[in-house]
Amino acid sequence: MKLTRRNFLAWAGLSAMGAVACDVFDDELKVQSPVSLPEDLVKGKENWYATLCRTCPNSEGVVVRVVEGRAKKIQGNPNYPTNLGAQSGRCDFGLQQLYHPDRLSMPMRLNGEKGSGRFDSITWNRALDEVLKELNARDGSVAMISPPMRGYSAVIADEFIEAFGGKRIEFESFDLKTYRTAIKNVFGKDIQPHYDIGHSQYVLSFGADFLSTWVSPTQWEVGYGEFRDSHHSPRGIMTHVDSRFSVTASNADRWIPIAPGEEGKLALSIAYVIIEEGLYPSGVDIESLTDGQGLSALNGYSPENIGSQIGVPDDITGAHSVAELIRTVAREFASHAPAVAIGGGSAGASTNGLFNLEAIYLLNHLVASVGEKGGIVFNPEPPIEELKGYSNSHTLSDVESLITEIKTSKIKLLFVYNANPVYGAPDWSGLEEALDSDDLYMVSIGSFINETNHYSDMILPDRNFIEDWGNDIPEPAAGYQTIGVQQPIVNPLSDMDPRSSSDVLLSLAQDSGKDSKLPWKSMKEALRSMSDQLFDLNRGSVAGSNKEEFWNNLLRQGGWWDTSAVADYSQQPRQLVNKIVSKDKQAKLSGSGEFYLVPFLHNSLLDGRNGEVPWAQGTPDPITSVAWQTWVEINEKVANDMGIREGDVLEISSGAGTIQGIAFVSPAQPPQVISVPLGQGRTKGSAYVTDRLDGESANILNILSNNKIDETGGLAWAATTVNIKKTGASLRIAKFEGDYESREVGFTEGEELIKTTSPGDHGH
Amino acid sequence: MIPKGNIVATTIVGLIVAGITGFILLVVAISWFSNAPFGLADAPPQPIAFPHTTHAGAVENGGLGMECEFCHRNVTKGDSATVPALQQCWYCHQKVSGGDEAAQEEIDKLVTAYSDGVPVNWERVHRLPDHVRFVHEAHIRHFTQGDTPETQLEVKEVCTVCHGEVAKMEEVQPKKFQSLKMGTCLDCHRQYDVPTDCTICHK
Repeated sequence: MKLTRRNFLAWAGLSAMGAVACDVFDDELKVQSPVSLPEDLVKGKENWYATLCRTCPNSEGVVVRVVEGRAKKIQGNPNYPTNLGAQSGRCDFGLQQLYHPDRLSMPMRLNGEKGSGRFDSITWNRALDEVLKELNARDGSVAMISPPMRGYSAVIADEFIEAFGGKRIEFESFDLKTYRTAIKNVFGKDIQPHYDIGHSQYVLSFGADFLSTWVSPTQWEVGYGEFRDSHHSPRGIMTHVDSRFSVTASNADRWIPIAPGEEGKLALSIAYVIIEEGLYPSGVDIESLTDGQGLSALNGYSPENIGSQIGVPDDITGAHSVAELIRTVAREFASHAPAVAIGGGSAGASTNGLFNLEAIYLLNHLVASVGEKGGIVFNPEPPIEELKGYSNSHTLSDVESLITEIKTSKIKLLFVYNANPVYGAPDWSGLEEALDSDDLYMVSIGSFINETNHYSDMILPDRNFIEDWGNDIPEPAAGYQTIGVQQPIVNPLSDMDPRSSSDVLLSLAQDSGKDSKLPWKSMKEALRSMSDQLFDLNRGSVAGSNKEEFWNNLLRQGGWWDTSAVADYSQQPRQLVNKIVSKDKQAKLSGSGEFYLVPFLHNSLLDGRNGEVPWAQGTPDPITSVAWQTWVEINEKVANDMGIREGDVLEISSGAGTIQGIAFVSPAQPPQVISVPLGQGRTKGSAYVTDRLDGESANILNILSNNKIDETGGLAWAATTVNIKKTGASLRIAKFEGDYESREVGFTEGEELIKTTSPGDHGH
Repeated sequence: MIPKGNIVATTIVGLIVAGITGFILLVVAISWFSNAPFGLADAPPQPIAFPHTTHAGAVENGGLGMECEFCHRNVTKGDSATVPALQQCWYCHQKVSGGDEAAQEEIDKLVTAYSDGVPVNWERVHRLPDHVRFVHEAHIRHFTQGDTPETQLEVKEVCTVCHGEVAKMEEVQPKKFQSLKMGTCLDCHRQYDVPTDCTICHK
C-alpha cells in the first residue's frame, strides 16, 4: 500500500485508539496473598561480595550475590585481571557444592576394616586429638598429596608437612609438568606465560583446547573475543592443529587433524619454511638460534618430506598436498604480526611430548613475538616474598615413588588434601592397593566421599570456597603482578560443621609445637599480614589511607594488581633449534590397536573433580551436547563400516584394560582416532556421580598404557592404541542436539508437572 | 456548488478533527470508568473486607495499633510493599474472632481460603505502569533518616505522606487521599529538592 498522507493519518489514528483501547491484563490488577509464608516472601536486600572461584584450577575472580545470608548467584568479577567479568560455566557449580545434600558435615572416623566405607561422625576435638597423636607417633614419615595449589594455602600446606619431615605432591591426571618444562627450556622462565590473543593477528595452536579446558580458558576466551571482534582490524586468523575436533578446533578458521605425537615435526616443518623463505622479521637472529647452521639445522623437516609422515588426511587439503598446506600456514603465520604459537594438551601428551611443545614454542622466536604485545607475555613473581616459588607441578612418576614409599613403610601417614588420586591415576599405578594398608594412617580433607578417602582413617570436612578465606597468585596471570583474595561470603548451614583446612593445619602445627615457620593463627591472619605488606608497597590497584581501609578495599575489589609490574624478557637463546632437533624421537605407542586413543578433559567435570555437582553432570558437552554419560567419539564412515550406530555400547580395549562407553558418531572425528572424555566412571560417593547404567559410565584413565613422557616422567596419555567392538547392547544417548521434535509442552499428564502457571491459575 | 477539490480537503480536515475529538473522548471515557490502577475510578470491592481501621487504627480509636510493616513486610526492605501470606493472617485469626456477624463472615472467608490452600487475589488499588520504577525502601529511608524533623518520621507516618491516613479508612481507595499519578511524584520531588530527571523514575 502506498503511504499517502491520508493513509498515514488514518493508521496513526487507529494506532492511537488501539493503544488506548487495549486494556492491561486482568492479572495486572490483582495482588495475590500466597497461602503459606515461604522464606523468600520477604525480598531481602541483595549484596555482592568479591572472592575467588575454586571449581577450576585457574581460580577466576567472581562476585557472589547474597540475599538474607544465603549465596544465590556467582558471576565474574569485572575488575579481576584474568577474567575481566567473564566466567566459566563451572563457576556456577560452586553453589551446588555449597548446598549439596551429600556434603560431609562432621569429621568422620573409620569404624571397621579399611576400605569398608563405614565411618562414625565424631567431634572436631576428638578428631584433631587423634590426628595429632598419630602425627607425633609417625613424625618423619608423613606425606601429603593435593592438587596444584598456590598462595597461602600452598605455603601453609608445605610448611606444615615439612615441619613433620614430609613432602607434598601436587597431582592431577593431566599434569602440566611437561608444558612447564618446555616453557622453561625455550624461554628460560619457570612461570606460566600469558598469551595475548586479544592483540594478536594470528593464533597457531597445537593440541591445547584453550577455549574450553586447557589451563586458563576464560582468560583466553576473553582474548579470543577481542581477536574476533569487529573492532579488531583486521580480523584475527586462527589455525588449530589437533588430533581431535575440540571446542578450540571448532572455533578455528582452519583445523588440521594430525596423528598424536607428530605435532613437533609439523612445527619444525613450519619453522623450516619460515627460514627457507626468509619470512622472519629482521631482528630474529637465525644464526644464534641454529648455532650458525641456518636452514641446514632443520634438514629433513621440509614440508615435502614431513607432509606424508604426520597423519594429516589427504582429503582435508582439497586439491593441494599436505606440504602445500604446511607452506601456506607458515606463510600466514609469519606474515600476520603479531602472531602467537600455543602448544599443550594432547600435543604434549605423547612420549615425545616435551619435544613437540618445545618445537611449537620455538615458532614464537621465529616471528619475534616473545615478550611482545600480541604474543607471549611473561608473568612476574608475586611481590610478597613468602608467596614466591610456589609454582610446582608433579607427575604420575612422583605418585609412583610415593606408592613405593607407602608400600615399604617409609610413609606411614598420608594427608590427602582435596584430591582423588585413586580415581585420577590409572589402576595399574597400584595406589588403591597401597592405601588399603593397615600400616598407613590416612587423613583426608574434603567435602565429599570419593574413591580415595574411602580408604581413610579420618575424614575432615573442608569449607566450601564461598565459606572460607584464601588467596591466589593466578598462573598464568594477565602479564602483571596479581594477587586474588578469597573471603567467606556466607556461614555454613546450621547443620554443617566444616572447618577451613588451612586453619586445621595451622592449629595442628601449633598444638604440636611445630609452627616456627607458620606465624599465623589462621588463614585470615595470613591474609591480613599480606594486606599490610601490600599497603606498604604503596602501589597497585587498591587505595586506602590506612591499613584498615586498604584491607577493606582489598576485599571489596577481590584482589590486588599492578599493571605496571611486568616481567621483562631480554634473553637471546642460542642453539635452541639444534637442542630441540636433537630431542626428536618417534612417539612410542602402546598396543597394536586399530585406533589412536585421545582422551580429553570433560568440559564441566574436568578430570572428574566436579562430578558430584548435578549441574556439572547435566551441562551438555559443547561439541557433542552429551551429558551424564561416557561417550566414545568415532568417525561416521568408520562407524558405518563397522556397523556401529549412535547409542551402541562399545567395548574399548587396550593392553592395559577394557572399558565400555556409548558410541557417538561424528563426521568431524578423524577416522584413525577414538576420543573419550575423562570425568565419569566414579564408583564411590554421591549418587549423582555413581548411579549409572552398565555401559554408560567409565574411567578412561584405566585403559591408558604405562607410557611416560621423556625427561619429565608425566603420563603420556595420548600414547595408547585401542580396538573397539560392539557389545550388542544399546543405550539412549543423553544429548541435546539432533532431530528431536520441537513442540509446545503441556499436552500430556506428565508434562502438566512443568506447565507454566500464572498467579491466578491455582484452581487445580 | 462546492468545487470537487474543496470537498476532499474538507472531508480530510473533518476526519482529522473527528478523529482527535474521538480519541480524547475515548481516553476520558476509559479513564473515568476504568479501575483505579489504570483509570480514575475506584477499585472493585476486595474479596475479603479488610478494615485497616480495626488493624492499624489507633488503640484510642478502637483499633489494634499495628504497625504497617507488620503486614507489609517488605516495605522497608525492597521495592514492593507486598501483602502478607494468608498464614500470617491465620496466626492471629485461628484465635481471634470477629466482633460481629459480618466481621466473622469475612474472617471465615480467610480461614477457609487458608485451609483449602487457595491464595487470595486482592484488587490492586495503586498500580504503576511497567515503565515506572518505584522503590518503597528508598522513600521510607528518605523520610526516616534525614536531617530535618520532617524527614525523621516513624515508618507509619511515612506511609501517610503518599497513602493518607489509611489507619482511618475502612476501605482504601485512591480517591480517599490521592491517586498517585505522575504529578503527585513530581510535586513531592520538587518539595524535597529531589531530582526530577526522567530516568530517576522511568526505566
